[in-house]
Amino acid sequence: MALVLGIETSCDETAVGIVDGRKLLANVISSSVEQHVRFGGVVPEVASRAHLEAMQQVIKQALKDAGVSIKDIDAIAVTAGPGLIGALLVGVSSASALSLALNKPLYGVNHLSAHIAVDQLDSDKKILPTIALLVSGGHSSILKVNNLAKDVEVMGATIDDAAGEAFDKIARIMGLGFPGGPIIDKQSKDGDLKYVNFPRGLTGASDLEKHKYDFSFSGLKTAVTRFIDQTPNYKKADVAASFQEAVVDVLLSKSLAACKESGIDHLVIAGGVAANSRLRQVAKQRCEINKINLSIPPIGLCTDNGAMVAALGSLAISQGVEPSQIGIGADSAASIAQVIW
Amino acid sequence: MSNVLAIDTSTSKTSVALICDGKVIFNQSHTDPLAHGEVLPKLVSQVIALNNKIDLVAVGMGPGPFTGLRVGIAFAQSFALAAEIDWVGVCSLDAMAAGINKSEFILSTDARRKERFWARYKDGLRITEPAVSNASELEKFGIPVLNEGEYYPDPVALAKIAQSSKSVEQPIYIRKPDAYPLPIGVKFRPMTALDLVSATAIEKEVYAKAAWSAGQFKEEFAKAPKTAHYLAAEFEGQLIAYAGIFYVADVADIHTITVAADHRRKGIGRELLKRLIDWARVKKAQAIMLEMRLGNDQARPLYESFGFVEISRRENYYGPGLTAVVMRKELK
Ligand SMILES: [Zn+2]
Repeated sequence: MALVLGIETSCDETAVGIVDGRKLLANVISSSVEQHVRFGGVVPEVASRAHLEAMQQVIKQALKDAGVSIKDIDAIAVTAGPGLIGALLVGVSSASALSLALNKPLYGVNHLSAHIAVDQLDSDKKILPTIALLVSGGHSSILKVNNLAKDVEVMGATIDDAAGEAFDKIARIMGLGFPGGPIIDKQSKDGDLKYVNFPRGLTGASDLEKHKYDFSFSGLKTAVTRFIDQTPNYKKADVAASFQEAVVDVLLSKSLAACKESGIDHLVIAGGVAANSRLRQVAKQRCEINKINLSIPPIGLCTDNGAMVAALGSLAISQGVEPSQIGIGADSAASIAQVIW
Repeated sequence: MSNVLAIDTSTSKTSVALICDGKVIFNQSHTDPLAHGEVLPKLVSQVIALNNKIDLVAVGMGPGPFTGLRVGIAFAQSFALAAEIDWVGVCSLDAMAAGINKSEFILSTDARRKERFWARYKDGLRITEPAVSNASELEKFGIPVLNEGEYYPDPVALAKIAQSSKSVEQPIYIRKPDAYPLPIGVKFRPMTALDLVSATAIEKEVYAKAAWSAGQFKEEFAKAPKTAHYLAAEFEGQLIAYAGIFYVADVADIHTITVAADHRRKGIGRELLKRLIDWARVKKAQAIMLEMRLGNDQARPLYESFGFVEISRRENYYGPGLTAVVMRKELK
């Protein structure tokens, strides 16, 4: 089996993972999220500086946790996009240097595919065609994964905000803090999810023609904002729960429709929002009813990490994908079609 | 026996050299201010093809534009880690100064936003810390100013300095990140008629004769919330800033972003601008316009950082001799 070291720096986590084939050996994450709390969102330059400061320590710690020496590594994988350009470049430059100094192949990988690849770790799952719902602070897409190392198609994506972004914004409007995902999840536990019936974006008859698998959360955001403005003594838990329910409902309705239409009975839910407890609960219920095999990576591997990058690199090797050329750079707006650079 | 790999990415050039026992084996550079990430690994792979036994990595630590600068430093550090050798950081300007035969001069590189990174040299030694200033400031010293374009950091000199003098351990950023945490306790809320007394006082202090009257504010408020949006920022119960935007026929127009003098440079204007842009997006505006006084050097970089570009100028707009710069930002 190949020992693969994966580097992830596309947003605010400086992360390095090491896998041996499908076996997870190390997963070290240094987050600059606390530095961003005061800004209510990730500040690219702050994140990029933090990546450079943390990178060497994170690599060393991952090697230590895995109990291997840098000389033992067989291949380097790195997130080449999409993400913040300045942040990505710290990872890609570090990975290129490791690859050149060690004379080992480099795999530039797609961050979104990596989120799905992490589901393969520590399992003997076959590499089957699957539908993937990818939901995070930066992305909300439904993907048709024909072969995770080679062939991924976009079926639908958000036409405005990402789901995770909507959580952040609503949390900010309600004065709950940042990041919004875990905060809203927690608030919702004591709330009435039927308190307000917030709109499900792009689910009307005409939308379903044009935007069958697309998402829109801006109308929902406006509806929540208007509700709060007009309801001085609203209960935060109830609004949070109702908002979350609207997001969860639309994400899953469209994912299951995608499974149905493409005749694929596997659904993987990945990305930071996959850590949301309500999404996990409802997904389980609905997939059981519809006889879909549901797979959600462990919560700790849903948010950005290096293990997912190493996992996709390792998968690429096992599928005989060619390594990347020297000098791949970074592509902040990379499309999902580019799985390996 | 020593083989030194030297790297600099602090300017528009990506430069790489290999020096073996004082002999220059490789020395190449490529000019492209946006391609350090692609170019550097390619140049280093050529070096390794010549000699893969490196004993030390020397790297320029800036000052320089951040994204490119970090490419070199991240690469050098990780290369050293994998090769299990040391890396040494050097001030990039020092590697640029080597070989200049003048008793006294200032070296300057492009810091973007019409500013220069610079340091002053005398008899071959740097006598000031690296700094960032407006280009016009540098002429005031009355000594030659040597600029990036004619001169660049020399990786061979960089390797030499790395072996002789004290190393620079942190990137020389000089500028803070473009992020201003809000002072604790600033509250943002819609602006109302109750703010008018304080607002007109701030208007007078900031704009003197061009200040808006309470009546003018009232007229604008009347359009809210449908076609206008006014926001107030308060600190300890006092109005300290306000901003307003107006929307008609697909284009939103920012009327004012005004911060009381004592509360500037805290990111309040930035936060107000961000909120006005959010509002314009909700209104589905196609673009946002604003006018700014020519020479308002604090405001311009802020607007530019949000993607506003100058589209025209209006002379005598704010009174005789006072030109307005019209800026526009497209909202996809
Ligand atoms: Zn992610």
